[in-house]
Amino acid sequence: MWFRKIYGFNFAVNYHFKNKRMLSITNLHAQIGEKEILRGINLEVKAGEVHAIMGPNGSGKSTLASVLAGREDYEVTDGSVSFFGKDLLDLAPEERAAEGVFLAFQYPVEIPGVSTTNFMKSAVNEIRKYRGEEPLDAVQFLKMFKEKMAYVNIDQSLLSRSLNEGFSGGEKKRNEIFQMAVLAPKLAILDETDSGLDIDALRIVAEGVNKLKSPDNATIVVTHYQRLLDYIVPDYVHVLYKGRIVKSGTKELALELEEKGYDWIISALVD
Amino acid sequence: MATDTLVTISLPKEKQSSLDRFLAKGFPTNKWEEWKYTSLKSLNDIEWNWNTSEQSANSAALALENTVEIQTQNGKMTLKGTLPTGVEYLDFASFAAQKPEFMRTFNERNPILDQNSLYDLNDALASSHQVIWVKKGVKLDKPILHTYFASVSIASAIQIKLLIYLEEGSSLTWVDDLASSEDSKSILSNYVQEIWVSKNAHLTFVKTQDFGLSTTHVDHTFINQEDQSLVDMFTFSLNGGLIRNNLHFYVDGEQVVSNLNGLYVPGNNQLVDSHTVVDHRMPNSESNELYKGVLLGNSTGVFNGKIFVRPDAQKTNAFQSCKNVLASDKATMNTKPQLEIWADDVKCSHGTTTGQLSDEALFYMQSRGISQDAAKTLLMLAFVQQVIDKVEIPALKESISNRVVTKIQQALGV
Repeated sequence: MWFRKIYGFNFAVNYHFKNKRMLSITNLHAQIGEKEILRGINLEVKAGEVHAIMGPNGSGKSTLASVLAGREDYEVTDGSVSFFGKDLLDLAPEERAAEGVFLAFQYPVEIPGVSTTNFMKSAVNEIRKYRGEEPLDAVQFLKMFKEKMAYVNIDQSLLSRSLNEGFSGGEKKRNEIFQMAVLAPKLAILDETDSGLDIDALRIVAEGVNKLKSPDNATIVVTHYQRLLDYIVPDYVHVLYKGRIVKSGTKELALELEEKGYDWIISALVD
Repeated sequence: MATDTLVTISLPKEKQSSLDRFLAKGFPTNKWEEWKYTSLKSLNDIEWNWNTSEQSANSAALALENTVEIQTQNGKMTLKGTLPTGVEYLDFASFAAQKPEFMRTFNERNPILDQNSLYDLNDALASSHQVIWVKKGVKLDKPILHTYFASVSIASAIQIKLLIYLEEGSSLTWVDDLASSEDSKSILSNYVQEIWVSKNAHLTFVKTQDFGLSTTHVDHTFINQEDQSLVDMFTFSLNGGLIRNNLHFYVDGEQVVSNLNGLYVPGNNQLVDSHTVVDHRMPNSESNELYKGVLLGNSTGVFNGKIFVRPDAQKTNAFQSCKNVLASDKATMNTKPQLEIWADDVKCSHGTTTGQLSDEALFYMQSRGISQDAAKTLLMLAFVQQVIDKVEIPALKESISNRVVTKIQQALGV
């Protein structure tokens, strides 16, 4: 009997970490003003997976990322998004964050007068409050920050400055990944994280993302170019066009897109 | 009319003429250009007790360690403790008798009294006219704390006048902790400070205003600066039914530095009006003005910043900035920078902004797990912190910061 118990436990852990359905997007429609941008997205993401969303400009990539994070500018007109069985669209942005959704911004916002460390302290303790956990104290923060700083090779002086104010493009993106490391999300959505990065900064950011990867979290990489996918290797690649996923495949699809562009897919569509 | 009772008052000749000037003009109304947004007309409807002898308990918000304190309770000033060597606290008449030469200079000064009838009223009826006199070369390392508190059971006008005189090379930090009780009957608090900062002297003046809703506080601060003097002025308007600050700098020397810092956080049914004047009369001086406001509830804010650069004041650097956040749809802010420049070789700049918190910043913070109200609070505190952080007395900085935080949090229901 004892071995069955242990076997069962192992199985459960395995099931929970590896194959659990994390995010289900079904027939998602969203618009800004009168303009419909997402026109029926379907996507399944399981724990441990990396998905790349690619597509030409204006295809709705960033909109999808924003809708998942809860940006109010977009109105969801149809469809559903379930995150670990919860209706994600029903939650405020801060509740989504507390449930484990993280959006790395394409254009991180400058917050004058608030340092990254203070910002992260507020964020972590608000999330802990949501989850019914005790707040961390200054010593615990210090230890945690030190550990996470190593992920993206970021130094203390940057974290003490006003958040993103006067940061270079690379510093902003590294700061995003630092925040991601601190918040340890279940689902990280990277919105055009490669934009504005030179190759060295790109490598550092990608390394950070890879170090944070585990069997119980998942990553959605939204990108226009294939080059980021040399560093963050996806399990699945989806092509978004006019608000729909028109083609899905494995990482080889990204290489094909790099070589041939998007036209061959688009022209094959009977729209 | 409330002022009718003043007609029967009999005063010594000079004071009588001040009173007559007030009576001729009356309380300012919004027909006066300088009082466009801040009418005191309603003060006419109140039967004022012009000379209160009521006791008030001192319940000052602030305690600073190792500090000499001067208390003003319902207009009665008392020195608590012993002043350091080289500093005197005395009534104006005794001071004038001891310093006839200074008094000649002082009387020849040329203040701009923009439609300021309450200055005359104060001159006529002030219950105290005291002097703080810091002697030549005396540098005080601890602040002097002035706790000013008012609480009355019948509507009363409380008026005091203060002369702060810094002799050459001296330095003083003066903290004005002004307050009144929340449940007091109507108070007209009319407070005049005349300040003389001699050559090479340094004054830091931190004023906190934390009044009840039944208080109308009118503040007149006139500062004369001689060569190479430095003044760091702070005005924190935290609470009060109506607060009007008239802050005037007369830059009457070279290489003078005048720093004007202001922060106001009016809440529901509160109005804060900051009228500042920096009058550059001599060359090679510098003024820096930074005012910030967070307007909560249905509050009203007014900022009117005048800078004069007279023909002789070449090589003046004068900077002015006034930034405001409207924290509610019902709040109003009126700003008016006014620069009059007659000299041609000067650097002057001014800028005023009034806006709401950025949605983009709020979403960014929410996406990290911070609730919208907490995000708003964090952004507003960051916004006001720039002014608070300039205060170099830790206990005072903390006290101001706590009061501002609490007020903003309460207004947002956090």
